[in-house]
Amino acid sequence: MKRFIERFYVAIIFIFLYAPIVTLIVLSFNSSRTRAKWGGFTTHWYSELFKNDAIMQALYNTIFIAIVSSVIATLIGTITCIALNNMKARPKNLLLGMNNIPMLNADIVTGISLMLLFISFGFRFGMQTILLAHITFNIPYVILNVMPKFKQLNPNTYEAALDLGASPVYAFFKVIFPDILPGILSGFLMAFTMSLDDFIITHFTKGAGVDTLSTKIYTEVRKGIKPEMYALSTIIFVTVFVLLLIVNISPAKEKQSRKHVSFVRRYSKQFAAAAVALILIIGSVFLFQGKGNQQVIVYNWGEYLDPEVLTMFEEETGIEVVYDEYETNETMYPKVASKAADYDVVCPSDYMIQKMIENGLLAELNYDNIPNVKNIDPDYINQSKDFDPENKYSVPYCVGTVGILYNKTMVDEPVDSWDILWNDKYKDNILMQDSVRDAFMVALKKLGYSMNSSDPKELEEAKQALIDQKPLTQAYVVDQVRDKMIGNEAAIGVIYSGEAIYTKRENPDLEYVIPKEGTNVWIDSWCILKDAPNKENAEKFINFLCRPDIALMNFEYITYSTPNTEARKLIEDDDIRNSTIAFPDLTQYNNLETFQYLGDKTDRIYNNLWKEVKSK
Amino acid sequence: MANKLIDLVNITKSYGDNVVLDDLNLYIRENEFLTLLGPSGCGKTTTLRIIGGFEQPDQGKVMFDGTDITNLPPNKRQLNTVFQKYALFTHMTIAENIAFGLKLKNKSKAYIDDKIHYALKLVNLDGYENRKPDSLSGGQQQRIAIARAIVNEPKILLLDEPLGALDLKLRQDMQYELIRLKNELGITFIYVTHDQEEALTMSDTIVVMNQGYIQQIGTPEDIYNEPENAFVADFIGDSNIINATMLEDRLVSFFGAKWQCVDEGFGTNKPVDVVIRPEDVVLCKPEEGTISGEVTHIIFKGVHYEMEVMAGGFEWLVHSTIMHPVGEKVGIQVDPFNIQIMHKPESEDEEVAYVED
Amino acid sequence: MKTKQSKWLAMPFTVWGIVFILIPLFMIFYYGLIDSEKHFTLANITAIAEPEHLKALGLSILLSLIATIICLVLAYPLAMILSRLGINQNSFIVLIFILPMWMNFLLRTLAWQTLLEKTGVINSILHFLHLPSLNIINTPYAIVLGMVYNFLPFMVLPIYNSLIKLDADVINAARDLGANGIQTFTKVIFPLTIPGVISGITMVFIPALTTFVISNLLGGSKILLIGNVIEQEFTQASNWNLGSGLSLVMMIFIIINMAASAVFDKDGEGGMM
Repeated sequence: MKRFIERFYVAIIFIFLYAPIVTLIVLSFNSSRTRAKWGGFTTHWYSELFKNDAIMQALYNTIFIAIVSSVIATLIGTITCIALNNMKARPKNLLLGMNNIPMLNADIVTGISLMLLFISFGFRFGMQTILLAHITFNIPYVILNVMPKFKQLNPNTYEAALDLGASPVYAFFKVIFPDILPGILSGFLMAFTMSLDDFIITHFTKGAGVDTLSTKIYTEVRKGIKPEMYALSTIIFVTVFVLLLIVNISPAKEKQSRKHVSFVRRYSKQFAAAAVALILIIGSVFLFQGKGNQQVIVYNWGEYLDPEVLTMFEEETGIEVVYDEYETNETMYPKVASKAADYDVVCPSDYMIQKMIENGLLAELNYDNIPNVKNIDPDYINQSKDFDPENKYSVPYCVGTVGILYNKTMVDEPVDSWDILWNDKYKDNILMQDSVRDAFMVALKKLGYSMNSSDPKELEEAKQALIDQKPLTQAYVVDQVRDKMIGNEAAIGVIYSGEAIYTKRENPDLEYVIPKEGTNVWIDSWCILKDAPNKENAEKFINFLCRPDIALMNFEYITYSTPNTEARKLIEDDDIRNSTIAFPDLTQYNNLETFQYLGDKTDRIYNNLWKEVKSK
Repeated sequence: MANKLIDLVNITKSYGDNVVLDDLNLYIRENEFLTLLGPSGCGKTTTLRIIGGFEQPDQGKVMFDGTDITNLPPNKRQLNTVFQKYALFTHMTIAENIAFGLKLKNKSKAYIDDKIHYALKLVNLDGYENRKPDSLSGGQQQRIAIARAIVNEPKILLLDEPLGALDLKLRQDMQYELIRLKNELGITFIYVTHDQEEALTMSDTIVVMNQGYIQQIGTPEDIYNEPENAFVADFIGDSNIINATMLEDRLVSFFGAKWQCVDEGFGTNKPVDVVIRPEDVVLCKPEEGTISGEVTHIIFKGVHYEMEVMAGGFEWLVHSTIMHPVGEKVGIQVDPFNIQIMHKPESEDEEVAYVED
Repeated sequence: MKTKQSKWLAMPFTVWGIVFILIPLFMIFYYGLIDSEKHFTLANITAIAEPEHLKALGLSILLSLIATIICLVLAYPLAMILSRLGINQNSFIVLIFILPMWMNFLLRTLAWQTLLEKTGVINSILHFLHLPSLNIINTPYAIVLGMVYNFLPFMVLPIYNSLIKLDADVINAARDLGANGIQTFTKVIFPLTIPGVISGITMVFIPALTTFVISNLLGGSKILLIGNVIEQEFTQASNWNLGSGLSLVMMIFIIINMAASAVFDKDGEGGMM
């Protein structure tokens, strides 16, 4: 009986630990693109995976970083242990204390502290910074694994080897090394795993054009994870699992592992040599990577451009594109402002463009080099004056409105006002936007104020409205509103028009409305940075994106509306070409506004009020 | 004679395919110092752990003072154990270690303090109350382990190779210490060791075990002087074990010579083993010996010389206070009382009694 | 290995540690103690007393404490059962707990959304069995669940390691001296595994206290934890000084924890390996 209870208990824990993993494996065979719906069995994503350059590149980066950082950490950690072993107590404890800091410190503090270091000392964000960060948090794992092995060593064996005529180095590799090898291997494995699984520290230290699987996934969380990612994770997991089974379950396991160790022992020098060579090669690649003459460095939102377009641009112009992504305007800004990375082209939103103009970060565009700007709808050029008064700095790329998406089967009254988001009937069935300005826009518009208000009284009222609404909301989300609405998780959601078309296609019960009180017309535009090293190439790049066929490709890839009228004419699907959701007639609506930059002080007020809402 | 305090009846224990104890029967009298002696893997520790309650026998019963305690957990048994590696509680002070059992019995504070004081005095460690076990030497830790056990006033103290980890001098001191303790406490000791000298020094009764079987039970003198088989003879001290033929009562033949002895009842012309202790071999002039040979090795051992003599195609081990240099021709004589005759093993079970090397 | 030359082998780590551990920490102090005009101020630290921050910190402490206790209660019996399985299984058990880490942390947490949602897997099963549905997604319960899920292995492994290092005879000795099963546990086994327990508590409590991903993904962003506040100050509000100041406050808890492990685990016995 006791045995049974014990087994049952272990089984329950293992179900708990592995249930999410099984879920992910199942999702990798789901033919529907959204995780909210089971669309039948398919292995399609596995073949898609290998065609997806972005994911494969992220995988390569992840493994590369994991290997290099854990090898270097293992080397440093091991030689540190040799030294620690001979040290007096005081310096030894000091070093061990320092070693404990990254282990015990919160990941977020470690990540932020390294980010501050890199920014302050002008490191260029990129693969190097991630590597430095990973090595830093990997060394402690190695030291903690190797140190105990030194404690277990019989000190006389080394002396015996010297006594028998071995040189110190020879004695180390022949006598000490084999004994501490298990510690080194488990330290390496631990470091490798931690590097592979890290998100938070990488999030704060990554730079241009470098994504690991973690950061790629985080970018995708907002858009809905691509099924290819599930497929990749499944492959990684199953591979490791099978390896583990082979090593552990095989009947001749004792012999095997011994053989394995002696193999490593026999070739330890070659291993060490190979590792050093590998590091040198990688290091020199970094050093000599240099900046080619013909390149353009693009900093764009996650999932906001068809990768095929980049390939076409490179082929047509011979200019190499270095591509990097960000999740929000606010994460982009400090990286650009601190000039930690030399970006050429960025794609900020309306109010952020204004802020960047005011802070002198943007360069005036030479429209002679961007003739394709003629394809852009004049209405949006005009609307852009809200943030770029003289139309000198920006070329609209994606546009849209913010509105209400509701499920016809769950809402039985006409929806035409923001007021429905305050209706008790839909308690726990409302999804709100999780960003300061968007949330306040809804409240301010409902109250009949401008969404660019900086009047403390109006803002206070809006805050109160949001607090009143909080008990009714199911969650504050960004782009996840899409999956949740498709999966019938909620009745009403605040959503960007670009997502609305896709959600309606997946779930015909959904309907999109622009409320009568007016809403936000948002515009994401391409801008060139003042210190851009490749300004001409950047203009060529923007011009290329304004070409109708290219704009169409991007529209089909990201489904957010394009202001490119010529591109719109090329859309084959009548429903979409004529969709009032994708291409609303702006003159039909009242009180449409675009976000403006309200100054740091007002920004801070907004943020503080939002924090008050969130913490209620 | 005192009554049987512990009675092991038909105990069998195996781990997987490995039979550790096979139908073992043994009783221990009150106030006895009994030693389980044997090489590692002979089952002596398992026997002790079955008495202590840490292992359950597959078959058989453990009787304590007439009641069956086979299924009683260790904490309900009126006996205490001193473990091989002391097993002190490193997170407690010495005093807390000693008080552990008493506190569980809800004894008064005064009583406990008294006992701690008494026990530390008994093991010559007064003043160590507030030290931690890690700060003590091995011998001191061992004595604390003993103090921790005896304050509970057990009827029996089980000691599992308690001196194994100590150096020679300390070991000898502790042997006397243990004998003194036993006499002061007047309780039964069951002692496990593989060290024959330790067993001979301290015990009232020695149980020699090998491969799960009891080979011989007896006083130290019995075991040493009259080993019942070649295993016991070889395990206890050095000895010359010789294949021989019992010609008739009191006459045995080996190395082509006839030897007088005192044993009877082995039949006529039966193969037997003969044991002769090295100190019982008398070297004399070649013509005076029952057989003769030549000294091949000699080592000075302090009390005596240890020599090897090649005689009758056999290398005799000889201890003598008289030196015979290498190469000297000598004769060999043995007093009939010192020739110990033993049965050859007949069954397979007895076969294991032979030392394998 | 008492050679003098071997001391310079500590140089790489010493330099590395100063540059990438100590100086970055100093940077946080620096940013935390200045305002946007680079004047010295304590405002970023005292900002913790603002009601929103206090509430976020309090909630973080509460949820991570609950998660830590649940982890401890779940992990200890599990570690005891596993430790009795025999020594040759050792590396296998460790790997079984590390294995889920090869499936990305974000994906694993996200999978709980799929499991817990109103129309999710668990509720579909409950519905099929005509059982009442489980509505914990977007509540603090879901955040605690996410914390327990993600950090349980960090509690199991150190406890497991201290348990297998226990001398079986020490437990036998306690039994022998009259302790029953429960007394043996409370008076001997548990006290002797405290280094492992402390190490486990640290490795669960600290990441749980500072998480922002779990609360975002499973709390529907409705619940603001101190990690979220700090993350938002850096990534959305661009107020690095406030973010650094609040990080400094959070580090107090980390220091308390480090001190606790230094007291209880002098020899570094409660390690993961």
